[in-house]
Amino acid sequence: MLMAINPLEYLIDPHKRIYWVFLFSSVVIAAVFLWLNPKKRRLNLSKKLWLHPSALLDYGYFIFISIFKVLVIFPMLIGAKEVALWVNDFLLTQYGFVRIEGFSYTQVMVFFTLSLFVLSDFSRYWLHRFLHTMPWLWAFHKVHHSAKVLTPLTFYRVHPVESLLFGLRYSLIVGLVSGVFIYGFGAMIGIVDILGVNALAFVFSFVGSNLRHSHIGISFGTIIERFLISPKQHQIHHSKQHINVNFGGFLAIWDWVFNSLVLSKSVNRIKFGIKQNEMKHFNRFHQLIFSPFYLLFKSK
Amino acid sequence: MKRIIISVILLFTFCVNAVDKAFFEQVIIHNIEQSIINAKQISASIKQGKTKKSQMLFVQLVSNWKKVEATYVLGDLNEDFLDTPRYIDIFHGNNEDIKAQLDLIISANDDLSYALYRHSHKTINALEYLLFTQDLSNTRVRSMALIMAKSIEHYLRNIGSAYQAHRSKFVQDEQFASAILLNALVSSTYALKEWRIGDVAGLSKKYKGHADARRAEYAISQNSVMAILSILQAHKQAIDASSHKDFGDVARKFGATKEINKTIGFLNQAIAQVEKMQEQDLLNAKGKSLYQSTNWLMQSYYLSLMNKLGFVSKVLDADGD
Repeated sequence: MLMAINPLEYLIDPHKRIYWVFLFSSVVIAAVFLWLNPKKRRLNLSKKLWLHPSALLDYGYFIFISIFKVLVIFPMLIGAKEVALWVNDFLLTQYGFVRIEGFSYTQVMVFFTLSLFVLSDFSRYWLHRFLHTMPWLWAFHKVHHSAKVLTPLTFYRVHPVESLLFGLRYSLIVGLVSGVFIYGFGAMIGIVDILGVNALAFVFSFVGSNLRHSHIGISFGTIIERFLISPKQHQIHHSKQHINVNFGGFLAIWDWVFNSLVLSKSVNRIKFGIKQNEMKHFNRFHQLIFSPFYLLFKSK
Repeated sequence: MKRIIISVILLFTFCVNAVDKAFFEQVIIHNIEQSIINAKQISASIKQGKTKKSQMLFVQLVSNWKKVEATYVLGDLNEDFLDTPRYIDIFHGNNEDIKAQLDLIISANDDLSYALYRHSHKTINALEYLLFTQDLSNTRVRSMALIMAKSIEHYLRNIGSAYQAHRSKFVQDEQFASAILLNALVSSTYALKEWRIGDVAGLSKKYKGHADARRAEYAISQNSVMAILSILQAHKQAIDASSHKDFGDVARKFGATKEINKTIGFLNQAIAQVEKMQEQDLLNAKGKSLYQSTNWLMQSYYLSLMNKLGFVSKVLDADGD
């Protein structure tokens, strides 16, 4: 338990966005980017960015939310295991015992890994989109968008209600996919992993997912950005003028299909944050927790 | 340096495989060899026309065959052997009324090699019918029973040889071996719960409220409870054996100690219940209680399976975008 509520554990756990390997790979990519773009060095290496009040708030909030998640949010969540058991049990009751034969262990593993990755990313897209389009959810998601500067720890600047929703999404999707696969293939399923993490999620995290919340505006080019979300596209999502676009996690396909895609080349100037009159509600630590409730109450 | 690396790899391979090999030898191979011996003995006994002895040997054959069936992983090692058990045993896999067909064959004069042309005519279920309802002193019945016993022995030998041929495939990959073994156990528990107990006791979805002792697996010879016990004993060999590293040990290695101990608890509970049961008890409260125990056993296998997939219980970082 003590290990679980230690925020430093995030650096040594491959399941975390700021696992040291992912941070290191992002630093290497950023160094190459800054070497090729000397003009960007000043901002990205400045104290003004890393010690900005918004960044300092992110650092403090990260410690709070990592402890709060373990003590309060996780115990409230239904586990993916319980969902998978329920799905498997439901299918057994409805359709009897089934065992799909004819696929090798490796084939099932690849199919399972791919299904988990794609469906998880798809559900992430839609939850993220709802967080923007449903007013009561947007009240909570504003916490994340109120960051004036982006650092890798901005990823954790999330209201507990949003954390709860993402946790539920995870349990439901992973539980559903696992339940269906267990029903069909039993124990013949496994995950193609790197250090225990879905190999696809690991690769995408390794190639700079920490740069999504940074000022390193790396674009993938017009073609790739229709399939994969680049750091620049996510930074566009954090800009005040384009807040309702580029909801994708790893894949940009969902944005493309559901008409919310904006390519990097079409946006030049980015200013992070939310409307000026709303920013004042998210400048302090306690405001990140209580402002959404206050603003929701006030709007009624 | 090269030598050190090879030595380390060999040592690791030995450590990983040694115990699996023991499981393979002491459970999989041992059970199939025992059933081959039983089939051979039964042929000799039938040839001599000894009804009582043949019936007694049949019980032993059923007991060992049920153990082979409960841990049958050969189909996963070589798909050519997926259907082989169907050539030995047609319980719940065939809607034919073989009793009527066998009666017709007994009363006819056709050459038996043609008359017994169906696989179902040469199964353990057909043999049960002949040994426990017909007279072995009748030459035709005896010849039929002999053909059946020989056929069963033939397929058991095929299974035995194939296991020997695929030994390395099983022992070289512990994760794969655990997966196919767990699948066999889950599938066996489902068949046990729904078909061997639920259908008889009127507790399965198909026969809810309509108990019928004739649906028991060995209703003719009254060996259904013994067959259930053998199946549960095979599960015990697979998850709670002291002589070899079993699935229980593998599950503990994956951190599922609590789950596997729970599974073993349910298994022991079911075994204790069956040991006190008679055939007719499948229809009463004891049957209901056994159905519940096997249901818990199955749920608990699934829980162990979930634990093997540790990733499902871990909340990944996926928020904040």
